[in-house]
Amino acid sequence: MPRFATLSDAWMAWDGPAPAHEDAVVDQTRELDKFLAEVERRAFRIAQVSLRDADDALDVVQDAMLKLARNYGSKPCAEWRPLFYRILENGIRDLQRRRAVRKRIMVWSPGPKEDPDDEAQDPLDSVAAGGPDAPELLMQAEAMRHLESALRALPARQREAFMLRNFEGMDVAGTAAAMGCSEGSVKTHYSRAVHTLREQLGEVW
Amino acid sequence: MNEQIPDSFEERGRRLFDASVENIDMRIRSRLNQARHAALEAAERPRARFLRLPIWTSAAGVTAAGILGIAIWLGSPLIHTTSTIAENQTSNLEDLEIVASTDDGAGDAMEMLQDDIDFYDWAAEKSAATESGSVG
Repeated sequence: MPRFATLSDAWMAWDGPAPAHEDAVVDQTRELDKFLAEVERRAFRIAQVSLRDADDALDVVQDAMLKLARNYGSKPCAEWRPLFYRILENGIRDLQRRRAVRKRIMVWSPGPKEDPDDEAQDPLDSVAAGGPDAPELLMQAEAMRHLESALRALPARQREAFMLRNFEGMDVAGTAAAMGCSEGSVKTHYSRAVHTLREQLGEVW
Repeated sequence: MNEQIPDSFEERGRRLFDASVENIDMRIRSRLNQARHAALEAAERPRARFLRLPIWTSAAGVTAAGILGIAIWLGSPLIHTTSTIAENQTSNLEDLEIVASTDDGAGDAMEMLQDDIDFYDWAAEKSAATESGSVG
């Protein structure tokens, strides 16, 4: 066996563990992958409730994932969730603002486009196929539809607070970090949201 | 703790949302999956470039360039004919020492050796074994 001419040659022949810094990067990437896989569908639904459009929701989630991975991937894992939702909420707000401006400029604009996938992903469709839990699923789908429309009628900050606290299960501190406001504001927004939703949904729920 | 225990209304909302997440169709799931991989790849790119140039390369490169520069300069015939040579030699050798003993560079090298100590043990053993084999 020839003697190693360079350090690189030795690394090539080495079958032990990779250099420590490389290991750390691989671990971090694996953790990030795990985190994103865990939140992506929930984030998509949260964006979809706010935006009423599957493609726009996908764009916003994709953008949030990219920004988190690029700019904050090296941050401790515990910081990812509030950061991710902050990026997501900013993306949702930006898109809503752009839509509002577009609507103002083009009064003849048809508004948020109808999502052709809405029907495909409508839970009622799967219910129609039949099954032992069909009535229960039908009721769930109907109740969720009511909840979504009630959420859309809420002020944006109340909706954000409700979705992050209730849907995503974040604590007050995490929600405050994600919304960029104080914990007191989160509590106020959340309690107002719950109060309004309860009033609106009381009859149909 | 001030965290409120969710009542049945809030609990119901959460369960409905969870169910709607479960009902996301395959097309959306697949697109989310692709988006995640694209995000991870995009984040990996600058890191991969960085990995190709390990931390200690910069310190080693600066040191090597310094040594080469000094060697060329000391070997030049001009050096023996100018009156300021001695001063320059001293100053350049001092520069070389400074470069070679830069705290950051030395720290990186030592860190590298500590991190990959198994590898260096193994490489030294292999080299020693090869040498003894070729002598015997």
